[in-house]
Amino acid sequence: MDEMKHVRLDRMRYTKNKLASNLALLAIVFNVLYFVSIYESDVGSWYYSLLIGASIVYNLLFMLMAFLASEGVKNYRIGYAFLLLAIGAGQIVRIFILPLKAYHATVTISKVTHQVMQTQQFATVVLLLSLSAICCMAAGVVGVRRSRMLAAYNASLEEKRV
Amino acid sequence: MANISLQHLNKVYDNHVQAVFDFNLDVRDGELIVLVGPSGCGKSTTLRMIAGLEDITEGRLLLDGEDITAAPAKDRDMAMVFQNYALYGHMTVYENMAFSLTLRKEDPNVIHRKVLAAAEILGLTDQLNKKPKQLSGGQRQRVAMGRAIVRNPKVFLFDEPLSNLDAKLRGATRREILLLHKRLNATMLYVTHDQTEALTLADRIVCMSMGHVQQIGTPLELYDTPANLFVASFIGLPPMNFFDVQVKGGKLLSSFFALALDEQEKKLLAAYEGREIVLGVRPEDMVEGGDVSVSVFSNENLGMNTLVHGRLGNSPDSAITCKLRGWYDFKAGDTVKVSFVKRHFFDKETTNAIRAKGE
Repeated sequence: MDEMKHVRLDRMRYTKNKLASNLALLAIVFNVLYFVSIYESDVGSWYYSLLIGASIVYNLLFMLMAFLASEGVKNYRIGYAFLLLAIGAGQIVRIFILPLKAYHATVTISKVTHQVMQTQQFATVVLLLSLSAICCMAAGVVGVRRSRMLAAYNASLEEKRV
Repeated sequence: MANISLQHLNKVYDNHVQAVFDFNLDVRDGELIVLVGPSGCGKSTTLRMIAGLEDITEGRLLLDGEDITAAPAKDRDMAMVFQNYALYGHMTVYENMAFSLTLRKEDPNVIHRKVLAAAEILGLTDQLNKKPKQLSGGQRQRVAMGRAIVRNPKVFLFDEPLSNLDAKLRGATRREILLLHKRLNATMLYVTHDQTEALTLADRIVCMSMGHVQQIGTPLELYDTPANLFVASFIGLPPMNFFDVQVKGGKLLSSFFALALDEQEKKLLAAYEGREIVLGVRPEDMVEGGDVSVSVFSNENLGMNTLVHGRLGNSPDSAITCKLRGWYDFKAGDTVKVSFVKRHFFDKETTNAIRAKGE
């Protein structure tokens, strides 16, 4: 192991995984922006009904999990890194539930047909969910990688000590 | 290499209170200078002027010959350790120690090496991931020192760093500071009101009172040849005993004793014949048996020594403390005869020590 790599690894014993943690927090930010963007519709209340409640609950759950995971990966806990990968994948899946359905949906009010979600709005929410998903997954990947590196380094130190 | 020269430093606050009067000192490279004195004597103000935390009203401050009187604190290449540690509670020990270097945007790998090296010196390697609240007072103070060490400054400034520690920890940390000084061989200025710290740590002591320097010298010089009554009373524990005496006919006369002067003392006090002077005697410079009667009112056994508190005769104004070698069990009301092995003489008007010419 070259000197620089050794120092870099040794540094991880005393410093937090701020990159992964901050990426997870950024994922929350994008999710919040998505959350406030998706209901911007003149006819939303005719379309969403029960989905709104489920969406709110999931958003709260997402934020809770992402925040806990951001704290976990900060301390190189690999379980939280996997959680971030999972909820990142969940963000991708969400694109195909509410936004895509709303984009294709129409409602007729007083014999006038309205599209629930316009293209521009659809593009915005897809972008925001995608960014949130990318941040989560990147945080997960960084978390897994660094946690494993640190674990291996600690194990090698332990071996030397023994 | 760090020589400091303080030339005629004065500090006058906005409310016209003068805290420091004409302070002059040359600190040599690698020297540990202790500024000692009672609270409010101006020692911390002097240190803060050196650090750049207080403006210098008058005078010059030179670091390695360069005038830094008006330089801001950050450009002085000095690190200060405070009494209250000044650690960041939300940061780990590692982060606290690395903080100043992080602010300077140094390479993280370089910072890491410096922090580990400092932690090794201070025995903090196992504590690096802990927060300050998880550490003892002594460990916190070491972290504060570590934060200073990583900066590799030219000068270390300590402002009563041990005052928040209990007596046992203070002793241990004091020894650590001494070892640190030997190891780093750095120039250090250390402020304390504790004369034990001053005597044990210093290469030279600056004794201050009311903003004035009273004496600058090695610990032995201050203890053995105090310049005036203030230094004599401040340095030494228990403090020196003082008696008003008259020089007459080769003797020191008081209401309680008449002590013969030796030839050297006669010569020294020749100019004071018939006048009153102050006789100073350290408690440890007394032995049992002699011409001075002490009426005992308390007896403290310290193991190797016994502290005897009493009076000369029955006068309440003539308190005396004797530190006698050995174990004694005097009772209140007993009379013990002592003699003074070493005597110090002070001019009653100027309060300065009476010294032979050329001394």
